[in-house]
Amino acid sequence: MKTDIYNTHINFSDIRKRFGQKQILDNSEIEITSGKCILLCGKNGSGKTTFLRIIAGLETPDSGFVNTGLGKYHWKKCRQQLRNSVVYLHQQPYMFEGDVISNLNFSLDNKLKQKQRLQRIRSALEWAGLESIAENSAKTLSGGELQRVAITRAWLRNPKILLLDEPVTNMDYESRLRTIDLLLNLKQQGVALVVSSHDPVHFEALTDNWLQLSEGRLSDYTSSENITPIHYKKYIYEHTY
Amino acid sequence: MDDSTSITLEAIHLLFSGDTELWAIIGVSFQVSTTAILISVPPALIIAFILAYADFPGRRLLISIFNTLLAVPAVVIGLTFYLLLSRQGILGDWRLLFTQSAMVMGQAALSFPILVAMGHAAFQAIDKRAWETARTLGANRIRAFYTVMKEARFGLLAALFSAYGRIIAEVGASMMLGGNILNYTRNIPTAIALETSKGEFSQGIALGLVLIILAFTLNTFLQYFQGKGHLSN
Repeated sequence: MKTDIYNTHINFSDIRKRFGQKQILDNSEIEITSGKCILLCGKNGSGKTTFLRIIAGLETPDSGFVNTGLGKYHWKKCRQQLRNSVVYLHQQPYMFEGDVISNLNFSLDNKLKQKQRLQRIRSALEWAGLESIAENSAKTLSGGELQRVAITRAWLRNPKILLLDEPVTNMDYESRLRTIDLLLNLKQQGVALVVSSHDPVHFEALTDNWLQLSEGRLSDYTSSENITPIHYKKYIYEHTY
Repeated sequence: MDDSTSITLEAIHLLFSGDTELWAIIGVSFQVSTTAILISVPPALIIAFILAYADFPGRRLLISIFNTLLAVPAVVIGLTFYLLLSRQGILGDWRLLFTQSAMVMGQAALSFPILVAMGHAAFQAIDKRAWETARTLGANRIRAFYTVMKEARFGLLAALFSAYGRIIAEVGASMMLGGNILNYTRNIPTAIALETSKGEFSQGIALGLVLIILAFTLNTFLQYFQGKGHLSN
């Protein structure tokens, strides 16, 4: 259904954000490429969520520039463009009133006819293995189901970039595998992923680039060493706790 | 049969016999109050939403002002609009005093703070993620607003019914701005006040019954929409 590979290459630079006296982000920079996954790590309150929300166009930075390959523009000028191509998933995704189908329906273009809508929803349910809960109330889903419905809902929106805030927190082993499997599939389809997590081990198969957010700045750990997630976890532990 | 029973029976007979004067009064009430609520709902809900979701200087002060306005008596609203619409008033040239339009203005002003304050509480109860999820999934501002309204519908319906219940039963503003003119500005509460002062209790009771039936219908409707009426598991 969605097999085209996007040619997304977006650079965010000079991202700054201050909350009161605290400088959350200070000259942070990130480069997002289609079909690649960036894992964003950092301790609680380091600004991971704020950073993702700025990329998604949901939070206004104090300063920031976006380069989509057509030139470097101020974040404000690109806000609408970001909203059109980026989907952000909260740590605890929000489900609207109604069943899973109506939640998936929300992402679809209003111009689509009812028949096309149903067809796309059916394919999406099949893609994510959610057929058995299609008519369940979205408000009563378990953590793993909730995350997979949210990913599927985002997938129906055809995002170029998908941002996930702690997507496997408090999940059992099986739910975690199924969620990561969906993300792998999205990556193969060409969607750029940025995942924030304090536990990189879960994303070993998914991640191409490990970034650490500390004192408002992003550092690229992979550029200095040939790491494994275990090394990285040790590194994070040493630098954050 | 004692006096009160016979008056009540007479009131019921009056109500169901299709008395034209009585039904004209009921018609004026519903027409004026429905128009007033339709005028005030859209701006009130937008303000309620902005107060709940946006962050701007003076936001808390505005919330306090709307909460304070809840306590303003109908007769004070009536007096304010009377002064505005009287010949010497700023809006005197509009010649609206003692018309249904004046009553609509007064009732809209009365319902506005109720809708804002209760609407704000209803929106505040909905997670901010609802708005953000709608926006990140491609909804424009109008669709996202509609989505959040849908999520907050029970609280918003309660606000709507409370505001409607308040204005259809208020007497002060309607009396001052409408003038209680038969078949034109006489509505249920002003008619009850007039008939009772004349000692004609049956029409007053009949009209009172209409208000009670209305209140019961609105509350039943709200209960039906709210579903179970207790905490979910």
